[in-house]
Amino acid sequence: MPGEKRPFSERFFQTILRAFPFDFQSDYGGEMAKVFREQQREAEIRGGLAGIVRLWTETLIGVFRTAPREHWEILKYDCAYALRTMRKNLGFTLVAILTLALGIGANTAIFSVVYAVLLSPLPYRQGQQLVFIREQAQKMGVDDIQFSVPEIQDYRQQNHTLSSLVEYHAMSFTLFGHGDPERVRTGVVSWNYFDMFGIKPILGHTFTPSDERIGAPPVLLLSYEYWKNNFHGDPKIVGKTFEMNEKVHTVIGVLPPVPQYPNENDVYMTTSACPFRSSKNMIEHRDHRMMEVFGRLKPGVSLEQAKADLATVAGHLQSEYPKFYPPETGYTATASSLRDELTHDARPTLIVLLAAAGFVLLIACANVANLTLSRMARRERELAVRTALGAGYSRLFRQLLTESLLLALIGGGAGLLLAYDSLGLLTNFAARLTPRAREIHLDTGVLLFALAAAIGVSLIFGTLSAMSARGGLSSGLKEGTTGAGSGRHASLVRGALIVAQFAFSFMLLTGAGLMVRSLYRMLEVNPGFVPQHVVVMNMHFNWSKYATSADFALASRKILDRVTSEPGVLSAATSSSYPLEPELITFGPNTGDFQIQGRALRSGEAPPVADVNSVSPDFFRSLGIPLIEGREFLSTDDAKALHVCIINDAARRRFWPHEDPVGKQVSFDNAKTWNKIVGIVGDVREFGLNKAASPEFYGPMDQSPNPSTLIVRTAADPAAMGERIRRAVLDVDSQNAITGIRTLQQARDQSLAAPRVTASLLGLFAALALLIAAAGIGGIMALSVSQRVREIGIRMALGAQPSRIVGMLVAQGLGLAVLGTGIGIAGGLAITQMLKSLLFEVTPTDPATFAGVAIVLLGSALLATLIPARRAALVDPNIALRSE
Amino acid sequence: MGDRSKKPEPFLPLTPAMFHILLALADGEKHGYAILKEVARRTAGKVQLSAGTLYGNLARLESSGMIRESEHRPDSGLDDERRRYYLLTELGRDVAIAEARRMQEAVDQAYSKKLFRKPGLA
Repeated sequence: MPGEKRPFSERFFQTILRAFPFDFQSDYGGEMAKVFREQQREAEIRGGLAGIVRLWTETLIGVFRTAPREHWEILKYDCAYALRTMRKNLGFTLVAILTLALGIGANTAIFSVVYAVLLSPLPYRQGQQLVFIREQAQKMGVDDIQFSVPEIQDYRQQNHTLSSLVEYHAMSFTLFGHGDPERVRTGVVSWNYFDMFGIKPILGHTFTPSDERIGAPPVLLLSYEYWKNNFHGDPKIVGKTFEMNEKVHTVIGVLPPVPQYPNENDVYMTTSACPFRSSKNMIEHRDHRMMEVFGRLKPGVSLEQAKADLATVAGHLQSEYPKFYPPETGYTATASSLRDELTHDARPTLIVLLAAAGFVLLIACANVANLTLSRMARRERELAVRTALGAGYSRLFRQLLTESLLLALIGGGAGLLLAYDSLGLLTNFAARLTPRAREIHLDTGVLLFALAAAIGVSLIFGTLSAMSARGGLSSGLKEGTTGAGSGRHASLVRGALIVAQFAFSFMLLTGAGLMVRSLYRMLEVNPGFVPQHVVVMNMHFNWSKYATSADFALASRKILDRVTSEPGVLSAATSSSYPLEPELITFGPNTGDFQIQGRALRSGEAPPVADVNSVSPDFFRSLGIPLIEGREFLSTDDAKALHVCIINDAARRRFWPHEDPVGKQVSFDNAKTWNKIVGIVGDVREFGLNKAASPEFYGPMDQSPNPSTLIVRTAADPAAMGERIRRAVLDVDSQNAITGIRTLQQARDQSLAAPRVTASLLGLFAALALLIAAAGIGGIMALSVSQRVREIGIRMALGAQPSRIVGMLVAQGLGLAVLGTGIGIAGGLAITQMLKSLLFEVTPTDPATFAGVAIVLLGSALLATLIPARRAALVDPNIALRSE
Repeated sequence: MGDRSKKPEPFLPLTPAMFHILLALADGEKHGYAILKEVARRTAGKVQLSAGTLYGNLARLESSGMIRESEHRPDSGLDDERRRYYLLTELGRDVAIAEARRMQEAVDQAYSKKLFRKPGLA
């Protein structure tokens, strides 16, 4: 009844029929509607309203029970069909699966890192409430000052926004009673430190308030790793006792594996158990600052409110103790979220890597779409026949999507294996950027990501191939045409895909190129010292035996006397730190403010700040730091002699730009002692090869003893000398502990590890992209040649030279590559800005890198097109003309 | 066009709906609504197929070759000639018989276990 509006019930029935597969609808939909109409008529006559209700109920149940089965049947059929097709085209299948596996694998691996480090919540109770608190001297450019005991008490009592505030500092103590004396990294914390973080021990219990009372029997919590590695996970560890700092310490619990920030520790003790923290000197002095402070926001309090609150407390302290917080320093206090603290170093690198992996996936996707399209060119007869036999377009679409999905799922599965395989490597890499690295693993979130990636990918290339199939189905059966995959529409799609691949490859290669150049610059940069033939180590003294500065000075002298008597040692020095020491890179310089004799500060002017370092006389010679002016330290620069210091060139440029500083006097202790500058040495990149030297003052070891590191220049291989030197140090005092024995070269390499891995990963992704794009253009050219055999034959029969044929085909391929590269340059100019914070002495738009990448990319495109083009030129016109 | 090369056994057991549809077609070709009516009549209304269930099963039976669409159309005066008619294939008949036998055997076993008596032997 055309034109007549059908009743609502029938229209509604038509709607629910959509639950069936499209083919089923077109096969049976009309019939079903007729049957339903008759059933309805009968129900009205016989059963009235009750009959109608019953009919509808049964009908709905019937539809929703039958429709999924119909879909399932089609899926089974399509999968079987797809598997058969894939087996028949094994080459295509393997290349497609490999490409997708690489694309999805790279993404899944990087995503697992991003997910664990940047996206997942902190593994602490309500981690979003946790904050890191720091004092700042803004006018002096110092933004991270530690807290003293009186300050901690003030902030704890006067703040209104934190539900708790805890302190932390790291020490290194010697532990006796477990085999050899052992150096343990010790975290010294408030009693409620772990409660505030919501960390529950896996054995025993955490500290109680009584554990932190002065004079309380010392107790220890072990970190999970220390317990596992050193006690083999002994379940009876709680209650065991050890001796530390000449006191008996009892183990009360074992912590779960959680990220430890700011640094990893073996054991934790309360503040009262630490001999330094509990000393009268520390407790009373407002300017003895060595503690980090964490807090938890009260429910409903924002970070901004807490910042304002802490600044207010800082203001109170400033007016109450003007001597400690002079207005010219710009003293204040602030907070940042713990999450940011834990992840800010990793964020830019990870985002760049995720973007790079995403590009690889897009390129892989475009490539598989292209492969599918070229395969469609060969399959179109089959598809056209199927259409002619009654398979609707949407049925074919569904079939093609199933094929793509199957390919993508297999590729995704293989990619997941690749990702799983690379996880160890990535965790090591991420550990250099964030303490959250230990949380990286393949969990449900990551698996879902891989699945979503596979489905997304299959949708993209499945749709692309189906779209091109549509264009050619009608022509597929016509004699002599090559139909769908070869039509104008399809070749346009294929061309566009090649252009996209080249554009993305260009951007990736540029990113990788910039990172590699930046790494190269870092390797080339003059660090200011000679790292070859130097071995370094950290020395830890048994604090309870060394009470005064003189004790440390004497120990330093004895150790140097003993070490320099070793054969093969050219010179040796002790110092408070050595260049590129990992801890130095993590925690930054030990800075101090000072005054210059005869130079008064203007009102409101902040005092000058410089890094300070204690070094023994041979420090500069051992490290190969050049003396620019004056003299080095001598053994006569001892505690009783005139106090002297040596400055670096950066300090000279900053503080005495127009005069000779040698002979000038400076004081770091409010003019109590004056130190005469006796020399100027070269600048050293201490805190990272990518960080320029800051002003630095060196003092003689005897005048401010702090022999924490030993630096030894050797005649032969320094790595082989490490153990002998360690034993020489222990000869002096067997209770000393030596850690971190490494050559200065190793320290330098380690400082480059993160940029090196970033550059390597980007390089790997870029190489993959290049390979895929080149294979893609090669494949397309091969297809184009095989489709144009007849045309080439005619041209050659008409007298065209083979070189002309090669030229024509190469021009066609290169045209696409040039267009892609052009778009890539535009995209690259925009997107490499992301890399800015990761680059060293290279601009994100470095013309040399852009030009180099363009040459590489076009060169590989030329190579990839040349091979099929040359083959075309070898075509025998007679055979070619008969080929159709 | 019954496919004689196909054996009925792999199709067993049939779902009750399928069996009833095959039975309904045993005495001649029918269109969808007629099958529904026939099944309801023969089972005294105990088996009521919905349109979805009916055509889901018809599709399955057709694709496995047990029924096929009839090319024969009744007089346009007698019925709507646009309706689709289905008829049983040789395979469909074999499968229906095999299913009936299978059920018969099951019933016989129930008799031998004296679960109930054969009717008419009281």
